[in-house]
Amino acid sequence: MPIDNNTLFKNYFSDFKNYDEVLKSNMSVNPNWDKLLNNITEMGADTLISKQNEMDWLMDENGVTYNVYNDPKGMHRAWELNIVPFLIHEKEWETVEKGIKQRSELLNLILKDVYGERELIKNGIIPPEVIFAHRGFLRQCDQIQYKTAKDLLIYSADLARGPDGRMWVVNDRTQAPSGMGYALENRFSTSRILPDIFKDIYVKQPSHFFFDFNQMLIEAAPQNKENPNIVILTPGPLNETYFEHAYMSSFLGYPLVTGNDLVVRSGKVWMKSLKELKQVDVILRRVDDVFMDPLELREDSYLGVAGLLDVVRQQQVTIVNPIGSGVLENSGLIPFMNAICQYFLKEDLILPQIASWWCGQKKERTYVLNNLTNLVVKRIDRSNRESIFFCEFLKPNQLEELKQEILTNPYNFVAQEKISFSTAPDFVNGKLEPRKVMCRTFSIAHKDGYSVMPGGLVRVAPERENLFVSNQRGGVSKDFWIVTDEHQTNIQNYSWDDSCRISISGINDLPSNTAENLYWSGRYLGRALLTARFLRTVLNKMSSEQYNKQITESESLLNLFQSVTNITSTFPGFIGEEGEEALEDPLKEILSLMMDADRMGSFAQTLSSFNNSYYSLRNLWSKDMWRVFDGIQKIWKRFEVEDDKTSTPALIKVLDRIITRLIAFMGLIEESILVDQGLLLYFIGLQTEQATMNIAKCRSLLVINHREQPQYDILEALLTSHESLNIYRYSYRSYLSIENVINLILLDTEYPKSLTYQLRRIQKDIDRLPHSEVTGKATDCQKYISEANFKIKSLNIDALLVLDPDGVIRQNLDDALAELSDLLHKMNLSISDTYFNHAYQQTQLVNQNFPL
Amino acid sequence: MEFTVSHTTSYEYESGVTFCHNIATLKPKSIVGQTLLDYQLIISPTPAEITERLDFFGNTITRFSIQQHHTELKVTALSKILRDSSLQPDIESSATGKTITLETALESLKTNSPEHIDEKQFILESIFIAKISPEMKAYAEVSFKPNRPIFEAAYELMQRIYTEFEFDSEFSTIATPLHEVMKEKKGVCQDFAQIAIACVRSIGLPARYVSGYIETLPPPGKEKLVGTDASHAWFSVYIPTFGWVDFDPTNNQIPKNQHITVSWGRDYYDVPPLKGVIYSTGKNKMKVAVDIRPAV
Repeated sequence: MPIDNNTLFKNYFSDFKNYDEVLKSNMSVNPNWDKLLNNITEMGADTLISKQNEMDWLMDENGVTYNVYNDPKGMHRAWELNIVPFLIHEKEWETVEKGIKQRSELLNLILKDVYGERELIKNGIIPPEVIFAHRGFLRQCDQIQYKTAKDLLIYSADLARGPDGRMWVVNDRTQAPSGMGYALENRFSTSRILPDIFKDIYVKQPSHFFFDFNQMLIEAAPQNKENPNIVILTPGPLNETYFEHAYMSSFLGYPLVTGNDLVVRSGKVWMKSLKELKQVDVILRRVDDVFMDPLELREDSYLGVAGLLDVVRQQQVTIVNPIGSGVLENSGLIPFMNAICQYFLKEDLILPQIASWWCGQKKERTYVLNNLTNLVVKRIDRSNRESIFFCEFLKPNQLEELKQEILTNPYNFVAQEKISFSTAPDFVNGKLEPRKVMCRTFSIAHKDGYSVMPGGLVRVAPERENLFVSNQRGGVSKDFWIVTDEHQTNIQNYSWDDSCRISISGINDLPSNTAENLYWSGRYLGRALLTARFLRTVLNKMSSEQYNKQITESESLLNLFQSVTNITSTFPGFIGEEGEEALEDPLKEILSLMMDADRMGSFAQTLSSFNNSYYSLRNLWSKDMWRVFDGIQKIWKRFEVEDDKTSTPALIKVLDRIITRLIAFMGLIEESILVDQGLLLYFIGLQTEQATMNIAKCRSLLVINHREQPQYDILEALLTSHESLNIYRYSYRSYLSIENVINLILLDTEYPKSLTYQLRRIQKDIDRLPHSEVTGKATDCQKYISEANFKIKSLNIDALLVLDPDGVIRQNLDDALAELSDLLHKMNLSISDTYFNHAYQQTQLVNQNFPL
Repeated sequence: MEFTVSHTTSYEYESGVTFCHNIATLKPKSIVGQTLLDYQLIISPTPAEITERLDFFGNTITRFSIQQHHTELKVTALSKILRDSSLQPDIESSATGKTITLETALESLKTNSPEHIDEKQFILESIFIAKISPEMKAYAEVSFKPNRPIFEAAYELMQRIYTEFEFDSEFSTIATPLHEVMKEKKGVCQDFAQIAIACVRSIGLPARYVSGYIETLPPPGKEKLVGTDASHAWFSVYIPTFGWVDFDPTNNQIPKNQHITVSWGRDYYDVPPLKGVIYSTGKNKMKVAVDIRPAV
């Protein structure tokens, strides 16, 4: 195709010195790319720009994120997918695939050997230091036997095209390789946003690979069970690829758990579920080796399960990949790989590797020290990711330091040739630009070998002349196509035979950590909504009272201010002597209640607590929910940096917008999650919080007797904040009276917002939770809530209205509400004790430092 | 000589423990010159599970878990040991072992011959003995010279640590970093052993950490008190053509019949007598009592 007058290619050639995927050195186009470039050209720059925007939007909307450590802006950063895919023709891929299979098998044999016979060392194929000095060689894993067909079950290789035009192996990933889920999401998104880009091109789909993947997990179960219990172990929402853990969990249908959800007892691993402990057969883990078992490995780890390694030893659970496989992420092995390949397979390596020199050998060390500036130096174990030295950029004193370090422990270092890998077109600022690319590939073990994902995850260097390609530091990704000449079916969501799919079967099996997060989501959401509504009511009242210096003289407003403090428990606030100052400038205090995220009970703090429980649950949320949630975040973030934060209308406006979205969000939760998936816990949390706050509101506003006008104002504010003013008018068609208000919002048996109704609902939900069948007795939480229901049924409106002899206080009302509040509090504690039993922290018997 | 050893570790938990997993490395070895005649591990409360296996270094480790609520954990290892160091090869009477120089030793270790392939890992950094400082190397080089026999050098290193370091049980804990001990020249037997190991490794020889007991003798005329002994540690150097030779820098002697070996590893991290993960919210208090006496 003509490219010289194609504006998309303008400047593609400038500084053309690299090997490029598309342009050959004679400036002709690689024919494999013809059709794709045609399709792109046909779309035109404007369409491409809008498609890229749409893609960015979709990634953002769907919450495809990754986290960057040590970067305040790095949390939940949107994943970037460039609309121009990377492609390789099937003919070339066949060789690459063979190479990946060979390398998977080879690493599998090395893994078996180094934790078994150590023939490679005994026979002098590899020097002992390459294994024994590698921090990933875990002596605790020595001689463990596995029942699986292969020891290495998942393998991931980073490939890049070298100067000779072949795909080279750059890195081996064997502990808990990431990227599979992102690769899948990239394919789904490209198919959705850019159907035209596939025109006349047949792309291989990864559906079969994921089927194999699922099959591998099922067959990994040590006891040949038909329905093994498989879980995905994540370090938690702060991990850089948490999105993917949650994504794989909902894609495969296996529960996402943290170390806290699992426990080792009686020689087996169990998942703490709401009802009981449930045996776990297979753990697909995204936690690194040394963090997996604080008993035998790193004792400061809270990400693993104490005693796990011994269960593995007893063959009662399978970890995918096995603990200890990190020893294969070992650049010290590279110089010996071909010899190892000859030793085990009697053949040469198919995929070339970067020329590497292990400094533990004298000749190699001398070479490295004499040529240091042309080399890249690495530690053989990558536990410390920062210790890769690009020597050409080092200052003389840094070079000297490195030399000394190499000389002190030469066996720890490997030097590699500097390689310039190929570039591929990336769509940037309306044009195509050559960028370095790195392809992450994936293979999965089965009985007779390994299956390889057709394609994988392509990552692009962030700048034109950048050497580094890594998601750890940010960066862009691409869809990775294996193109073929044969027709392929399109990808469909979840397009595999799911006859063997196992999922959580009911509320009984809900991991208790998930249950706890759902419960707290409900509570925080309820709190956020009630706080926002009440603050809005107060702000509205302030503007209608012609907010001025004499403000404190308004009896009703004073009462409302004090209620704000009571309801949110943000003492002293407007209350007592210390409250005098706040009353001087009430807007300042209200602003602090809204914005101060460090203040317990503030709206900002509630919202941020809600965010945390939300992120821990994201495998349960739908895309719509993500969208609304993200909307709340955005409104809030914009508001935080806005200048005009102090005007009452601005505050009201932002509350209005957030309240609408909170309500939309609540609606979506109810339709997106099943009761058996844990919605019940969310409801209990939500209703309990709302009931508790309503009680606080009534105690604060209805107990004290006021004169007629302030009384009217207060009742109106109460009903407004309760969103019940219209219902009141409809039901009573009368002037606001305290009697009717109490009847409606506390005692009404039909109105869903009344306390009576809420308490009944909580009882109904709690009764549906799993209860101990052995004793047949009511649990404590059942006892407390039924007491509360009994109490509220017994209340009599006339008795509640009785004033004390001074005519100031309705003591009966206050006592009744106090008792109900206390019962709800006890019920909450009892729910935590019964269902979320994480009260006992893991501690070491002896505290040792584990310097790494 | 026959000894009985009783080693009790007890923990009191302020707010109780619901559940714990533990690993004990308390079973003395049967090796040349030391025979374990009888061994019992008594744990209270009774563990729900208990298993025994050999670890990577050939030490016997016992893993147990207690699944009932308890406020005290008591682990007692009772051993009966027959010790006769005269059965061990004696370095003093080995012409080659006693005279092999550093230069020759390093040359011989360069090869990957099967006889010392496992020993070579004890030259490498380990969890507690990593980033060996130039100061430690310099300290080692005072004794280790290319043409000097390594046995002689190691012996001198032991003597120097004995005279130059002060025994101070208040100064260090197991978490005190090595360079801190080196700087202050204070510590306990574990620290001295680990300093010596760092020194020996810094010049390229294999050294390992030995954990065990030493019999202490009461002052003349007094009766020995129960529980005054403690667990002990020393170091061992691999001398090519001869084998491992133990040195006790805390007592300035080559271990003989008063030393009982329980386990060895790269450093303390590999062989703590008792470790574990407990599920509890409160603090805990630990007590150790060791008693060694000739069997009657």
